Amino acid sequence: MTEQEIYADLSKKFGDKVIEFMEEGTQNPTAVVDPASVAKMVTYLKDDERFQFDSLMNLAGHDADGESELSVIYHLFSTELKHYITLKTFTSRAEPKVASVANIHRTADWHEREAFDLYGINFEGHPDLKRILLEDDWEGYPLRKDYVPAEFYRGMRIEKVK
Amino acid sequence: MGRLHAEEMVLNMGPQHPSTHGVLRLKLRTDGEIVSHIEPVIGYLHRSFEKHAENLEYQMITPFTGRCDYLAAMGSEHGYAMAVEKMMGIELPERVEYLRVIFAELQRIASHLVAVGAFGLDVGAITPFIYCFRERELILDLFEMASGARLLYNYIWIGGLAHDVPPGFVEKTYEFLDNFDKRVAEYNQILTGNKIFIERAADIGVMTPEVALTYGVTGPSLRGSGVNIDIRRTEPYSIYDRFDFDVPLGQGLQGTIGDSWDRYYVRVLEMTESAKIVRQALDQLPVEGDVKSAIPRRIRPPKGEIYFRSENPRGELGYYIVSNGKNVPVRLKMRSPAFSNLSVINEIGQGWMISDVIAILGSLDIVLGEIDR
Amino acid sequence: MIQLLANWILSFDILSGMASSVAWGLSLFIVAALIFVFVALNAIVLVYFERKVSAFMQVRLGPMRVGKFGTLQTVADALKLLQKEDIIPRMADKVLFVVGPWVILIASVVTFAAIPFSDTLLAANMNIGLFYVVSISSIVVLGIVMSGWASNNKWSLYGAMRSAAQIISYEIPVGITLIAVVAVVGSLNLQTIIEAQGGTGNLFHWIPIPLPNWFIFHSPFLFLAAFVYLIGATAEINRTPFDIPEAESELVAGFMTEFSGLRWALFFLSEYANATLVAFLVAIVFLGGWQSPFADYEGTQIGFSIITIVALMWSFFVRTKTGRLSVYPLGLSLIITIAAWLFPGFAIWMASPGIFWMLMKVGSIIFMLMWFRWTFPRLRVDQLMYVSWKVLLPLSLINLMGVAVWMWLTGEIQF
Repeated sequence: MTEQEIYADLSKKFGDKVIEFMEEGTQNPTAVVDPASVAKMVTYLKDDERFQFDSLMNLAGHDADGESELSVIYHLFSTELKHYITLKTFTSRAEPKVASVANIHRTADWHEREAFDLYGINFEGHPDLKRILLEDDWEGYPLRKDYVPAEFYRGMRIEKVK
Repeated sequence: MGRLHAEEMVLNMGPQHPSTHGVLRLKLRTDGEIVSHIEPVIGYLHRSFEKHAENLEYQMITPFTGRCDYLAAMGSEHGYAMAVEKMMGIELPERVEYLRVIFAELQRIASHLVAVGAFGLDVGAITPFIYCFRERELILDLFEMASGARLLYNYIWIGGLAHDVPPGFVEKTYEFLDNFDKRVAEYNQILTGNKIFIERAADIGVMTPEVALTYGVTGPSLRGSGVNIDIRRTEPYSIYDRFDFDVPLGQGLQGTIGDSWDRYYVRVLEMTESAKIVRQALDQLPVEGDVKSAIPRRIRPPKGEIYFRSENPRGELGYYIVSNGKNVPVRLKMRSPAFSNLSVINEIGQGWMISDVIAILGSLDIVLGEIDR
Repeated sequence: MIQLLANWILSFDILSGMASSVAWGLSLFIVAALIFVFVALNAIVLVYFERKVSAFMQVRLGPMRVGKFGTLQTVADALKLLQKEDIIPRMADKVLFVVGPWVILIASVVTFAAIPFSDTLLAANMNIGLFYVVSISSIVVLGIVMSGWASNNKWSLYGAMRSAAQIISYEIPVGITLIAVVAVVGSLNLQTIIEAQGGTGNLFHWIPIPLPNWFIFHSPFLFLAAFVYLIGATAEINRTPFDIPEAESELVAGFMTEFSGLRWALFFLSEYANATLVAFLVAIVFLGGWQSPFADYEGTQIGFSIITIVALMWSFFVRTKTGRLSVYPLGLSLIITIAAWLFPGFAIWMASPGIFWMLMKVGSIIFMLMWFRWTFPRLRVDQLMYVSWKVLLPLSLINLMGVAVWMWLTGEIQF
C-alpha cells in the first residue's frame, strides 16, 4: 500500500488524532499524529492484516530551531508486505509528553531512552525511562538547540566550545 | 532449620574487559553460574557525534561517520553519502558506483573477519583470530592503496570518491580474491567444524524470528534466525541489483535455528558471497570515468528530511537527515545496527551461564563506537 | 643419589674429616637446590619454547629481538617482574594472599624429588613414588582456592571455585588410570616401573611388530589409558582446552587476577612446573622413561632408517600441500641415520638409556600440550565436568578391568 492510502485509512480510523499528511519536503511521506495516541496507532498498524508493520526501523527525537515544539519521528516497515510509513508527532517544549511504544516494539525501549536522554521527551508508559548515553546525573538535554551546558559536572569544569 | 537463604550475586563485567568488544558494562545478576538478568550500560564512548554534525558542513561530516563504526568505516561513509545524494538528486558516474560497491564489500569481508576471529577468541580459540587478521591485513593494504589510510578513510565523498584507485589496484584485488576462498575453507576446518567450538556455540542464545524483529535486530544476527531480510535485496540501493549473490540464512545446521553458531556461520558464508560480488564488480568495472565529476561545488540539500538505510556488516545502518537548505544539517541521526542488536542480549542471554553470555555477545558482533556515537 | 653424592664429597682428602651425617646433610641440600634450579631453568626454557611454538603456529615469529632469536626474552621478562610494585588489595586477606602462590609452587616442586631423570639421577628412591607424586600434586588445589579467596574479588573467587571443582574431578580418572599401570608392574616405585619397560617386544603382545616394551604398547587398554591420562592431566594443570579457571576472555585472569609482579611469576613458574611434571609422568609410566627405544646398535640403525623413510614421505606430503620443501625433519633424520651406520659407537650411545631419552620424551609431550593449547577452543565448566565424570571415569574403570583380563589372557598372571 502506498503511504497515501495508509494515511487515508488512519484518518478514517482515528479521526482528528491524525493531523496532516506531509509529502512535500520529505523523501519519506509522513503522517503527523497526536502525541498521546501514537501507541494506539502503532499497535493498529502492527496488528492489522493489511499493514503488518512489524519493524520499527528508527525512532528519533528532533528539535527544529530551539523555540518551537519538539518532535518525535517513527519510521516503520513491514517485512511481509514490504511497505513503509512514517509517523511524526509534535509536543510542547515545556512539558514534552508522548505515548511510549516500547511495549509494542521492544526496540523502542532503547530508542526512547535515547530521545529522553538527549531531548528530555517523556515517554509515558515506558518500562524504565532513564538516561542511556549520558551519566545518570547529567543536567540538561544536550541535543536541544537551546541547550547551554552547566558550569561544572561533579566538580569538573565543562569547557565552552568557542 | 530455616530455609537456605541463597542470594543472587550482582556481577559486573566492567567497562574494561577483554571480551566486551569495547567499553561496554554488563551488569549481570547471577545465581551461581546461571545468569538471571543482564543490563547493558552504555555511553562510555559517547562523543556527541550528532551534536557535532549540527555544526559541521555536510562534506566535513564524512570522516566523523567513519569513526562511529570504526570496523566498517567504508560502509558508514557510503550510507551517509548515499543519503545526502538522494536528498540532492545527484546522479553518479558508473565508475564511482562500481568502485563504491567494491570497497563496501571488501569492508564487509574485513569486518566479518574481525567478527569471526573475535568470536573464536571469546570461546578460547586464539589461533583462528590471528589467521583472520592475516587476511584482513591484505584488505587493509588494498584500502591503503586507494585511500591512504588503513582504518578510517574519509574516502567516499558526497557525489564521488576522494581519489581514483591507483594502477595496480585491480590486479592486487584479483590476487587477494584468488586466495581468499582457500582461506575460508581453512577457517571452516579449524573452527567451524571443531567439536568443542560447536559445543560452545550451538544451541546457545537462540533468538526466534519474532524476538529478533521486535528488538530491531538486523543484519547477519537477524538472518541467523532464518529471516530473509537483506537491504541490498529488499530496497536495492546503488547498483546491487546488477550482481548475482546469495543471501545466506541460518538453518540450524548444528543445533537450533537462531543460535550463536548460526549467526557465526552466516558471517562466514557472507564473506564468500562478498568475494563473489567484488569479483563481478571488478569484471564489470568501467575503465573510463572521473570519480570527482559529480561532486557538487556546494553541498546544500534542499529543505526536507530523509531516512535512508543501507546494509552495513552489522545490520541496517540508517541516516535520518533534516535539512533547512543551509550547508549544515539541522539534524543528523545515525540509526546504528549494533545499538538495537545489543538491546536483545537480556532477552536471549537469560538462563545461560556466564561463559555463554560471552559467546552470545560475541555472536552479536557489536562495535561500541557506533552504539554510543 | 643423595648417598652417591655424599660418598663423593667424603672422597675428597680435605673433607674426609667431615662426619658422614654432615656430608649427608650437605648433599641433601645440594640435591634439593639442584631440583629447584632445574624447575626454574625449565620454566625459562619452556616460556620461550611456548612463545615460539605458538608464534609459528599462528604464522608469526614470536620474540626475536632480545638475544639471538629472542632467547633472552624470558630473562628480560623475569627481571621486569622482579622490579614491579608489590600490590596487595586493601581488603584482601594478607596472610592467604602471600602464602597462596607459594603453596602452589612448593607443591609442584616437591614432587620432583621422586622423579627419576635417569637410572642413577633420582633424588629419593621411594617405594611409594607414584603415590607420593599424585598426592602431593593435589595440594595445588589448596593454593588455588587460597589465592582466589584472598583476592577479595568475585571474579577471582569464581576462577578458584571452578579450578577446584575441575582438579578434584579429574583426579579420579587420572588416579584410576595410573592404578591400571601399577597393576601391570606390581609396584608404585617409579624406578621399577621404568625398569619393567626395558627390552623389545610385540605390539599388544601378539601383533608381531617389534616395538620397545613400553606400557603404551602393552595392550590396547593401556594404549587407551595413556590418552585418558593425557586428557585428565591437561585438565589437572589448567591448560586449554580446560583453562576455564584462567579464561582470559572471561575472567580476566581468574584466580590470578589480583597478583602482580613476583607473585604472578610464581604462578607462572608453577604452571610450567606442573606441565613438566605431568609430561614426566606420561613419559615414565607409559613411554618407558629413560629407556631407549632401540634395544641395541643395530636397532638404532634400522630404526633411524625407518624414520628417514617416514620423513621422506612427510616431505613429499608437505610439498604437495603447500609447495614448500620441508628440509629439517628429512635432513636431520638422514644425518643421524648415516652417522648411525658409519659410526657404531654413535649407534651404541643412541641405544643406551639415560637422561637424553627421558628429556626427548618429556619434550614431545610438552610440545603436544602446547599444540592443544593453541588449537582448541575452551570447554565450558559444565562440559568439562561432563567429560570427567561421564566419559573419562567410565573409560578408566573399563581400562582397569580390561588390563586385568588382558594380563590373564596373555598369561602374565594366573588366577
